[in-house]
Amino acid sequence: MAALQQGLTLFFSLLVEAIPFLLLGVLFSSILLLWVEPEQLLKILPRHPLGGAVAGAVLGCLLPVCECGNVPVARRLLTQGIPASVAVGFLLGAPTINPIVIWSTWVAFRDQPLMVWGRVGLTLLVAVVVGWVFSVQKDLRPFLQPAVAQVMPPPMNQPQREPMLAGVPTGNFFALSGGKALPLETTGWNASRLLSRRGRWQMVWVNALTELRELGAVLILGTAVAAAIQVLTPREVILGLGQGSATSVVAMLVLGTVVSICSTVDAFFALSFAESFTAGALLAFLVFGPMVDLKGVSLLLTVFRPRAVLYLFLLAGLLTFVLTLAMNLYL
Amino acid sequence: MNGLDLLAIGAWGVLLLKYWLTGQLAVLIHPNYFPLTVGAGFLLVGLTVWQGWVRWREPGQPQALAPGGQLLPRSWGRFLLLSTAVVGLIVTPRPFTSQVALESGELWNMTRTLPQQFRPVSRPEERSLVDWVRLLNTYPEPDAYQGQKAKVQGFVVHPPESPVNRFFIARFVVTCCAADAYPVGLPVDVREGTAQTYKADTWLEIQGQMATGQVKGQRRLILKADKITPIKPPANPYLY
Repeated sequence: MAALQQGLTLFFSLLVEAIPFLLLGVLFSSILLLWVEPEQLLKILPRHPLGGAVAGAVLGCLLPVCECGNVPVARRLLTQGIPASVAVGFLLGAPTINPIVIWSTWVAFRDQPLMVWGRVGLTLLVAVVVGWVFSVQKDLRPFLQPAVAQVMPPPMNQPQREPMLAGVPTGNFFALSGGKALPLETTGWNASRLLSRRGRWQMVWVNALTELRELGAVLILGTAVAAAIQVLTPREVILGLGQGSATSVVAMLVLGTVVSICSTVDAFFALSFAESFTAGALLAFLVFGPMVDLKGVSLLLTVFRPRAVLYLFLLAGLLTFVLTLAMNLYL
Repeated sequence: MNGLDLLAIGAWGVLLLKYWLTGQLAVLIHPNYFPLTVGAGFLLVGLTVWQGWVRWREPGQPQALAPGGQLLPRSWGRFLLLSTAVVGLIVTPRPFTSQVALESGELWNMTRTLPQQFRPVSRPEERSLVDWVRLLNTYPEPDAYQGQKAKVQGFVVHPPESPVNRFFIARFVVTCCAADAYPVGLPVDVREGTAQTYKADTWLEIQGQMATGQVKGQRRLILKADKITPIKPPANPYLY
C-alpha cells in the first residue's frame, strides 16, 4: 500500500512537471505546421548531412523545448520534409543545447565550468554524429511509424513515381489566389495555405490539442513505467556502483534513463551526486539523460519504429559511454 | 476534436489548478516550477472552454491536419488522459514515508553535497535539519558542534538495529520534483526506553543539545533531546 502511495506521488509529480513542457512543445509544433512554409525551412537549412546535423542540434536555441517538447517538434519537422540528419540532430541536441538548459546547468555548476562546456560539447558531438549516421539512410520512411511516413513528402532527389506530363499537369488541384494551383496530393502538409488568418490560428489550437491528447497519453504510459521502476528497484542498487571509472558511468547512464526528469532541471539533480560520483559519470547523466529516458522512449515511439529507437538508443548511449569514460581515464 | 477529448484535456487543466489551490503542488514539485504548472493549468482550461464554445457555435470548423498517431488508438489516448486525471482529482498525493527514507539507504550517507545556496545561520537553534546537514558536509568534525543548542522539525524514522534510546529525525530534500527527493536526517537520543513510543512518521519538534556518539561504528553528531513536542505535518513537507 505504501509502495502504491509512493508510486502515485512519483507518477503525478513527474507528470505535473512534464505537462507544461509538453504543452509548449505541441504549441511550437502546431505553429510550425501552420505558419512556416516547409520550403522556407528547407531553403535555410544546409544540404550537407553533417551541416544539417549541426544545424538541427543548434536549432534548440531558437525553439527552446525540453525532451518532452522536442518530440512533437521533431516529428513535425520530419513531416515537413526536413532531412533526417537535421531532425535527428534536433531530437538529440535540442533538449540540452538551448538557452534555458545551459543557464540552469551553469547555475548548478557555477564552480565547475568544465561541466557546462562538457555538457554542451559532448551533446553536440553525439547529436551530430548520430544525425550524420542516420543521414546515410536516404529515405527515412521505413524507420518511421506508418502514420508519420504517410504524410512525409518523398525525398527530393528521388525520381517521381509516375512520369510528369510537363506541359499538361494532370490530377486534382486547389485553385489558390494569384492564379496558382496546389496539387491535391500535397495538401496533407500544405493545406494551411488554403485558410484565412483566423482559420489558421483556429487550426493551430485544434492541432495543438489533438497532439496533446495523443502525446499526453503516451507520456502517461512512459511515466507510469518510470515511476514503477523507481519504486520497485531501490535507488541504492544504482548508487552502489558509484566510484569506478566505468561502473559509475554505466550507473549514471542507467539512472538518467530511469529517473526521467526534465532536462531543464536535471543539472540540480546531478549536482546532488557531485561528491559520490566521478565527473565523467555526471556528464554521462547530463548528456544522455535528456536524449533517452523511459518516459521519452514512449514519445519517440510515436515517431520511429522500435528498431530505429533501439539504434538511436544504442548509438547515443555507446558514444556517451566512450566519451565520458575517456574523460574519466585521461582528464 | 471530439467532445470527450476536450473533456479529458480540460480535466488535466482542472487537476493542475486543483493541486495549486489545495496546496498539494508543494508535495509534488519544487516551488520554482509552480508558475509553469499554474500557467499550463489556466491555458488548458481556457483552451478547452474556448474550443468547446467554438465547436458548439460553429460545428463546421476544420478538424486537425495531424494524422492520429497509430501507436495508441484515439479512444485509448482519451481514456488514459481522462482516467488518470480523475484518479489525480480523487487521490491526495502523500509525502514519502519513513519507509522510503530507510529504503533509499541515504540517511547515513553524508557525502552528498546539497545543492542550492549555503546560508550560514549564526544562532544554532535557528538551523533547520537541512542546515545542520549542510554544515556537517562543509565542516564534518562533530566535536565542533558539541554543546550547541538545536531545535529541528522532522518525522521519525526507526532504522533497524539502532540502540533502544535512539531514532532518526528526518526530512526529504527536493531539487525538482518528488522524483528526486532524498532524505537527510540526524540521530536523536532520548531517555532510555522511550524511543519506541514515538511512532515512525510522526512529526516532532525536538529541542536539545548536540553531542557526539557512535552511529554504526562511526563517531557522529547526535542530538540529545531535552524536549520533544509532536507537531502537525507541515503543508510543505520538503526542505530545499
